[in-house]
Amino acid sequence: MKNIIVIALLLVVGFYLVDSFNYIKFGDNRLGAPSDEKTVGAYYLNNTVEKTGVANVITAIIVNYRGFDTLGEVTVLFLATTGLGSILYRRRKEGEHEERVTKESSYLLQTGSKILFPFVILLGIYVFIHGHLTPGGGFQGGAIVATGFLLMLIAYKNFKLGHNQLTWVESLAGITFVSIGMWGLITGGTFLENSFIPKGTLNSLFSGGIIPIIYIAVGFKVAAELTGVLDILLSIKPSKIKK
Amino acid sequence: MEILKYIGIGLVLLGSIFLLLGAVGIYRMPDVYNRLQAGTKATTLGAMSLILGVGFMEPEWLVKTLILVIFIGIANPLSSHVLARSAYKNNQMPIIKNGIDAYKKINDSEKSEEN
Repeated sequence: MKNIIVIALLLVVGFYLVDSFNYIKFGDNRLGAPSDEKTVGAYYLNNTVEKTGVANVITAIIVNYRGFDTLGEVTVLFLATTGLGSILYRRRKEGEHEERVTKESSYLLQTGSKILFPFVILLGIYVFIHGHLTPGGGFQGGAIVATGFLLMLIAYKNFKLGHNQLTWVESLAGITFVSIGMWGLITGGTFLENSFIPKGTLNSLFSGGIIPIIYIAVGFKVAAELTGVLDILLSIKPSKIKK
Repeated sequence: MEILKYIGIGLVLLGSIFLLLGAVGIYRMPDVYNRLQAGTKATTLGAMSLILGVGFMEPEWLVKTLILVIFIGIANPLSSHVLARSAYKNNQMPIIKNGIDAYKKINDSEKSEEN
């Protein structure tokens, strides 16, 4: 019985593989130059700006055409953070996470990072808010924000991060992403359909429908996750590392 | 406007000379601290004057380049200070010819405070 199911599954998979390979001719250049109308790249370059109202084609592809893939990436990051937290959780129970690995830093570094910290955070937020207009986006901006927190974690030995707040930010951002995607289903389209918010004028901050909202959510999520990872990794007891 | 352009070209030239000297210094200097000095002091001035020169050549970008220059002015000396301090704390001894190690006393007192 089991073998029959396996054979049936293999047949289904094989049928669709052969079917799609039949559809694309051998050696057919489907990722070629934008001047060639048949190719995928030409389709995206010619239609993206008109259909999504986003000036940055790469962002439109990542968040809209391949929005499901981006959701998967965010989930992978979330799973990695959760895994790290669960591996190191047992040690925290024994009270070994109170101290940070880093030594007391100099006054120069403390003062300098106090000055630089708001600007680093500002840059990160700028990058993910303008994800649909300029290079960069949610992942890059979130990483920059996490760098700012890393600076503070290294400079101040007693810098405390609220883990509850981090979890809340992360969960709310994830819920925003998924519920915006579901709203597309409710309004009668497909998952992550970009149709229920007006697209606005091209090349302005409020344009592109759901794309900037999703990228801002991704930015918050990535920032919270990476900051949590850094905090977990930096607060293992020093004696454990030396020996 | 022509004068501004020539000032900009001069600044870019100055900056590239300093960056070149910094690169030679990293290759030529004997120990960590001398290399840090060549690698960060020269690049601080080099990068600052290069970026400011670009700002003079294109006056529309002057404000942005000034912000960049201020950022480099804060961040670059700070990072070189941190690198040198952590190198000393990890027992990278400098080459000392006259036997004076001014940081040793401070480092020892900090160590005794920690323990």
